[in-house]
Amino acid sequence: MDELERLKKELKDLNAEYAKIKDVPKEKRSQFGKELNAKKMALLDKIMKAEESQYDAKVEALDISAPCAPNENLPELYPVEQGSRHPLMVELDRVISIYQMMGFDVMESRQLDDEYHMFDSLNFPKEHPARDGYDTFRTEEGLIPPAHTSTMQNRALKRYKHKLDEGQNIAVVIPGRVYRNEDVDATHEHTFYQCEGVYVSRDCTMGQMLGILREFFEKYYEQKLNIRTQPGYFPFTEPSLEFMIEKPKTLGGKKGDFLEMLGCGMIHPNVLKMAGIDPTEYHGFAWGGGIDRLVMLRYGLKDVRHFESGNLNFLRNFK
Amino acid sequence: MLISLNWIKKYVDVEIPDEELVRLIGARLVEVEGVIDESHKYDNIYVVQVAAAEKIPDTHLTLCQIDVGKKDLVQVVCGAPNVREGMLAAWIAPGAVVPASVHEDTPFVIGKRKMLNKYDSNGMLAGADELDFGDDHSGIVEIDPEMARPGELLKDVFELDDKILEIENKSLTHRPDTFGIIGFAREVAGILGKSFDFEYQDTNLKVTGDISVKILDKGICERYSAVVLEKHGEIKNKYLSWMDTILSKSGMKPIGPIVDVTNYLMLLTGQPLHAFDFDKFIKVGKSFKPEINVRLAKKGEKLVLLDDTEAVLNENDIVICSGETPVALAGAMGGKNTMIDETTRNVIIESATFSLYNLRKTQMAHGIFSEAITRFTKGQPPYQCLKVADAAAEMLSAGFKVTSVADTQKKPEESVVIDININEINDLLGTEYDKKTIVNTLSNVGFKLSAKSDNLRIVVPLWRTDIRIKEDIIEEVGRLLGYDNIRPVLPLHGTADKNEILSLKTKVRDMMSSFGANEVLTYSFVSEKLLEKVGQDLNKSYKIVNSISPELQLIRQSIVPSLLDKAYVNQKLPVDKFAIFEINQVYTKTRQVDSENVPVSQMNLGFVLAERKTKGAAYYKAKLYVEKLLEALNIKADFLPKKHDSEDSKPFEDKRLAEIWVDGEYIGVVGEFKNSVRRNFKLEDFLAGFELNFEKLQEHFTPTREIDVRPVVDKRDLTIETNETYGEIIEKIQKVLEKNQLDAEISPLAIYQPETIKHISVHLEFKQKIDDKVMHELEALK
Repeated sequence: MDELERLKKELKDLNAEYAKIKDVPKEKRSQFGKELNAKKMALLDKIMKAEESQYDAKVEALDISAPCAPNENLPELYPVEQGSRHPLMVELDRVISIYQMMGFDVMESRQLDDEYHMFDSLNFPKEHPARDGYDTFRTEEGLIPPAHTSTMQNRALKRYKHKLDEGQNIAVVIPGRVYRNEDVDATHEHTFYQCEGVYVSRDCTMGQMLGILREFFEKYYEQKLNIRTQPGYFPFTEPSLEFMIEKPKTLGGKKGDFLEMLGCGMIHPNVLKMAGIDPTEYHGFAWGGGIDRLVMLRYGLKDVRHFESGNLNFLRNFK
Repeated sequence: MLISLNWIKKYVDVEIPDEELVRLIGARLVEVEGVIDESHKYDNIYVVQVAAAEKIPDTHLTLCQIDVGKKDLVQVVCGAPNVREGMLAAWIAPGAVVPASVHEDTPFVIGKRKMLNKYDSNGMLAGADELDFGDDHSGIVEIDPEMARPGELLKDVFELDDKILEIENKSLTHRPDTFGIIGFAREVAGILGKSFDFEYQDTNLKVTGDISVKILDKGICERYSAVVLEKHGEIKNKYLSWMDTILSKSGMKPIGPIVDVTNYLMLLTGQPLHAFDFDKFIKVGKSFKPEINVRLAKKGEKLVLLDDTEAVLNENDIVICSGETPVALAGAMGGKNTMIDETTRNVIIESATFSLYNLRKTQMAHGIFSEAITRFTKGQPPYQCLKVADAAAEMLSAGFKVTSVADTQKKPEESVVIDININEINDLLGTEYDKKTIVNTLSNVGFKLSAKSDNLRIVVPLWRTDIRIKEDIIEEVGRLLGYDNIRPVLPLHGTADKNEILSLKTKVRDMMSSFGANEVLTYSFVSEKLLEKVGQDLNKSYKIVNSISPELQLIRQSIVPSLLDKAYVNQKLPVDKFAIFEINQVYTKTRQVDSENVPVSQMNLGFVLAERKTKGAAYYKAKLYVEKLLEALNIKADFLPKKHDSEDSKPFEDKRLAEIWVDGEYIGVVGEFKNSVRRNFKLEDFLAGFELNFEKLQEHFTPTREIDVRPVVDKRDLTIETNETYGEIIEKIQKVLEKNQLDAEISPLAIYQPETIKHISVHLEFKQKIDDKVMHELEALK
């Protein structure tokens, strides 16, 4: 008798047990039933697994070293026209290469981080309501799938600090995937991409920050752009602002049609301090903005949900 | 938060158009999410006098003749019980829109109606609810004859031609002062370059009488002021007031004279107030004099709140007690047991500040998001507590007199002083502002400055709890003078270091798409069900405790399971043949933590190919993709039978997979999937995939290879009849070639197996001349 048959027999015996319930005193019946049910569930689970492995066992081994199975044709790759690259990744590459041309190093963001990098090292006071604004997910261990690429700022500052000692500037961009606990609709995703920028030097100014950002967007959209700002609040920058561009004409923009592209500001002295950089000697600025919106704008996409849909009718449009 | 522009303009002279003002507020203070234009909301609504009112028999209706400020009276039928001859009322003229309905899809337009088939009724006399001033529907509004005359437009009398700004609260998290009209108006003045002067009148309140306040736990309440008011007269409450309209425009609603005053002052100053019924308070506390105790709640302690819900408290909540009995959940909501109602005679006004950290947790634990707690959680400063309580007493003085006052603050807070040099400001902003401009900008909004040459000594006003360091001052200057006035310049470019893994990702992505594969992105979060479908261990996944849904509860351990899910989506579309891939990070608990104490992340490349209606072994096609990829990256790999145990390989069928090893290191797996996996995902038979550790690919990747420029001089086809595997035969061929000091490019032609014996045919390309002796030796292999 094989394992499966044995288990099935056991189940049959168990089912017969149910009949005995009438002999059990009333007050103990519920307990009796519960125990029996638990046994049955466990047994059914075992049977399912046994069936599964019996089913899986019904396969023949292959010659894994061969290029094809006997009497079958050699396999071929699919035609190149069928291939595609994800638009978010293509555009992220473009974003990165523009920053690289502007002299920025690149470092990738993590997808699981801790409270220290996500908040503490960014000058968020402990338990401060500002932490709520990020709608973070948390794991059982208290880890955080980061809600912004700023989670990498402290690491970036530490990693490139040597450049300051060598008389150079820190200039780094950090692309990455971030997560917010919010409901998904045409313009909101719980999973999206951001790109962070960090710049530190002895004599940097807010004017330089605005210059770099305008330069980036002009290169990205390949035209001159009007920019505008708006005060913002981030604990890790002081002053903090929102950066806007006038929607490019080529993308259907009208005069006075400004789009919020990212948050930015001069790095808070505490953030520099926590990375071991003396804020009386060095200043910095940082920014972070979403990639998804940039791409939607560029391709005229209306629904952010396409990106993670895996739907080839959408994806195959992007070579 | 809703801000009435008219209210702002009571405190600042605005000489620019509203559109420009809104733009400047957006550019220099906070994002204005929207502007509700109410300039036409009260069009064609007039103050009228009821000249005659005659009951229509057997109905609740009254036939009125009203004076609308013109020669002839107008007839209106009115159903309100309080309509009477001589009163001033608000009349919605025929053709006007009922204000409460202006934002509805089809606004309600009042017409000329015939009531009871015989009475003409022109327009309507309006109740507070119809005018959108709260939800009182008990009668029509009555207007104070001292305020208006018949025929005047209602909007002129009550300044209703207004624009309401919808403010994005989040970016004012650090600015408790701007959550009051005074603070907001001060900013507007600063933005317009005007000096803002607002002083509370000197408070007359002295701590006196028998009310006592004790703070029983440390750090929960910085200041608590309380004022006892005793009733000595009636408050005029029968007329529609400007305060009713402003409460409504600010998103609140008129409730009663006492509560309205506390709400109004909160909107004006940012300092929330609470009013207790004094007599109930005494009764609940079981004592003869009011004893206010502020303490942390006990776990499980219960309190019925104003909205009739019973809050079960925790040790983080702060409660206000009368004696020992809780009467309010501090900062969040008052208790039912001390609620103000029509019978209230005497009142206690509370004006206090509480720990924003405790209140933040209270907010989350009890789901209370009132106007008051929104302000408290920004950290209202204690300096104005008693002053605002005094203002409340003053506003209620017609009906109440102060009998007792308590205040826990013994001496005023000290001001923060910041020293800064003009150059430090300009250096960080990249500007050239002169001293006078900077001094004026800061003093306009209440900073006190003294200067010694270019060094400024700045005394920070007490309401600016956000200003502690030089950079905060620099922000003020940059912001109030407009960041948009800063000239963008480019610093000199350095050169960037290459990021190896990133450029390899780009390369692989390009390559895979040139192989006809499609790149996808899938969520990092997966369901337990998905892991069960592929047989991965749930306990090895990090689990999200506040996931959006069970579908997104675990952090994935590998890429392939997500791709199998998407394969199903595409096979359903249907797409007949496809290969999808994704490069992304994965995490498992077994991989421990790195030097920063966070889980080690791993970058994987996952790949799945699926075809409908195709027979055959899909393994070989997936393997071809791996081989082509590795070849392009100049990585030499071995395809070995299963011996390594990893979660990555769980979905794959042991008998139809190959482990991929490079230089004695496992880098991934390629193969077909278990029957059960295929069935669980409802996928068709022709299905295979691979999962590779991308970081290992990067380690073994070499961008260049030695180029052999010798021409091919001999080509041969070779067929060997054998029972051995293809790999073993290739090895044997290579041994023979080696022995003869030859090397050849070997490529497969076909494997033919009529019965038990396989016929393996390969094509050989030589760069040396070979003789037939070698070929005979090769042909003799089996």
